[in-house]
Amino acid sequence: MPRHPRRTARVLAASLGLLMIGSTLVGCAEGSGPERVNFHLSKSEAIPFFNEVISEYNASQDDVEVVLDSSSNLQAGFLRGNPPDLGLLNYNMEMARFMERGALSDLSDMPEADRILPEVQELVDQYANYPGRTSVLPYSVMAASVIYNKKIFEEQGLEVPQTYDELIAVCDQLTEAGITPFYGTFKDPWTVAQGWFDYTVGGQVDVAGFYDEMNDLGTEVGPDSPVSFEKTLAEPVETMQVLIDSYTNPDAASKGYGDGNLAFAKGEAAMYLQGPWALGEIAKTDPDLDLGTFPLPMTDDPNDLKVRVNIDLAAWIPEASESKEGAREFLSYLFDQDLMDEYNASQLGYGTTVDAAPVTDPRILGMKEFYDNAEFYQGASKAIPLTIPTENYTQGIALGGGVESALRRLDGDWARLALRQ
Amino acid sequence: MSVQPALIAKDVDAAETLEGKGPRRKSQYREKGIVGRSSWSLTILLILCAVTVIIPLYVTVSMAFKTQGQAVDGNAFSLPAPFSVDGFVTAWNLTDYPTAFLVSILITAGTVAGTIILGALASFAISRNWDRRLFRWSFYYLLAAMFLPFPVVALPQIQLTGLVGLDNPVGVTFLHIMFQLSFSILLFTAFLRSIPAELEESARIDGATTWQTFWRLIFPLLAPMSATVGIFAFLASWNDFMMPSLITSDPALQTLPVVQSIFQSQFSNNYHVSFASYLMAMAPAIIVYLFTQRWVMEGVTQGAVKG
Repeated sequence: MPRHPRRTARVLAASLGLLMIGSTLVGCAEGSGPERVNFHLSKSEAIPFFNEVISEYNASQDDVEVVLDSSSNLQAGFLRGNPPDLGLLNYNMEMARFMERGALSDLSDMPEADRILPEVQELVDQYANYPGRTSVLPYSVMAASVIYNKKIFEEQGLEVPQTYDELIAVCDQLTEAGITPFYGTFKDPWTVAQGWFDYTVGGQVDVAGFYDEMNDLGTEVGPDSPVSFEKTLAEPVETMQVLIDSYTNPDAASKGYGDGNLAFAKGEAAMYLQGPWALGEIAKTDPDLDLGTFPLPMTDDPNDLKVRVNIDLAAWIPEASESKEGAREFLSYLFDQDLMDEYNASQLGYGTTVDAAPVTDPRILGMKEFYDNAEFYQGASKAIPLTIPTENYTQGIALGGGVESALRRLDGDWARLALRQ
Repeated sequence: MSVQPALIAKDVDAAETLEGKGPRRKSQYREKGIVGRSSWSLTILLILCAVTVIIPLYVTVSMAFKTQGQAVDGNAFSLPAPFSVDGFVTAWNLTDYPTAFLVSILITAGTVAGTIILGALASFAISRNWDRRLFRWSFYYLLAAMFLPFPVVALPQIQLTGLVGLDNPVGVTFLHIMFQLSFSILLFTAFLRSIPAELEESARIDGATTWQTFWRLIFPLLAPMSATVGIFAFLASWNDFMMPSLITSDPALQTLPVVQSIFQSQFSNNYHVSFASYLMAMAPAIIVYLFTQRWVMEGVTQGAVKG
């Protein structure tokens, strides 16, 4: 290298030149031919399924060419003004911000919008809405509740508990038999918020109503306000701490989500507070394990049972998209009922449309009647903006921290955030 | 970025000393008369350092060849049984691996070449005009960029690159060069000061222009430092996740680390697929290091002694 400075310089210059030519050529390849639709999908488990759908769709017509985008950064795309043309992803507070600011186009004139179940469409509005628009169409809903090991329940002669007292009785009997009732994975804060916090709060409190009032109060939230985390959620969260203290595995604090799936698949506990996404992970270890689900009973009324839901996938088309027409065509293709049913069956999701096929997988069948009757709530932890570290606060409670102080801190954070916005 | 140089230096020392090839360092100890007694403790320390690199590498390799069931069974250190290449197949099919690999290579090659050339030219100008205020200040100005982390300027840069049509790998290459420049200029100027001015004067007497002096005399003399600068630039560019992820708008032109991010999400772990993919991405870095470690070592020690 040192002997041929000229040659080295030339090689370096040539490689730099090649890089530039290469990128220009790639630029040339675009622009002609069918309308290109960038389809953003970040759920990695669903990529093989949608890859197949895309190649079938691209082969079936010549007007639109759909390109799967599983890696681009959404915030950067919207900021730059070239977001993906069609998004199909988890719908949450963060996504709601784009909608709130009118970055997503109106889809209410599409026939697909009329097929969505009203109670499911309402879930979208619970986070935010943009007046006069239907910006987001739910594609799949995940219902989550207690996953239980049917074999252990059968061996112990246990029935699915319908009231809080029955739940305690089940836990006591399991403990006596030397079986861990619940498997806790408190090392991962999100598992505490998603399972323990959301199920206990959702089982006792009207989550959507609570946050409506909290949003109205804004900066007023505090020790003297009519509703507050400290006041309204104290009872369920204290119950959560009692359940954790008495009925989880002693090493829960050092176990993560992966450990939990493995241990539960090996039958090391009878119940597990996770959503259907964990079922696929458990099946990696034991595909034949007989599992069922039931809503966590938090009151003494056997009719007062609800499951936690979240919009696993929702479709939207940004205002800034340059291929709205193509995106709409592909959206219609995606919302074909048979395709939706096939997707939901493969991912253990619940359908979002009036004509959706009923779920049949025995593992999630236990939640069907509650979903069909709209007895569900969206997780309480998901309605708090990510700026507030809710998951970490709930983890603190799970590890034995003070309930009152943690909830009071949440109130303070909520009021401060409301002041800033 | 700041971690990598330290790691490299440690690796080199460990390999060197274990093989007994480190005359300079050993003689230093010998002079102080502690080599005979401390060699065992030193060896153990270095073995421990080596283990921190070897164990993760072993886990990566063995995980990559496991089946899905074995990958999640909680025993990271077990050998793959049965031996499976499923992970590689899935990783290959889930992502457009060849394209991502090519984009990564082009960005990295551009960054390495650009950093070395621009860094060397700038340092030459600065160190030979140190008595002029403009050059001195421009040195401080360039150095100041070291204290500017990318996340701070991420949002304006996303908008700016979008405005001028650089929201693609070329833009990422430019930004990588810019962010790598300050550290490289620091290394180059320190090295250039140790090159005697008489060498240049003799070239001048023979009738060489400034341009010729640089390319025929200075640039070849800079070779060891260029290697070091090039390797730091290579690592920073090859391993970068955030900048390509934010700057590149076309998902088909993403780099390997960004494309690989889909293998691990909050809800599912595909360790065997992720590690197979990481292994494929790591391979070039390891191969480059194997062939260039002599230069890395020389470069690091030269910079350290003369700087």
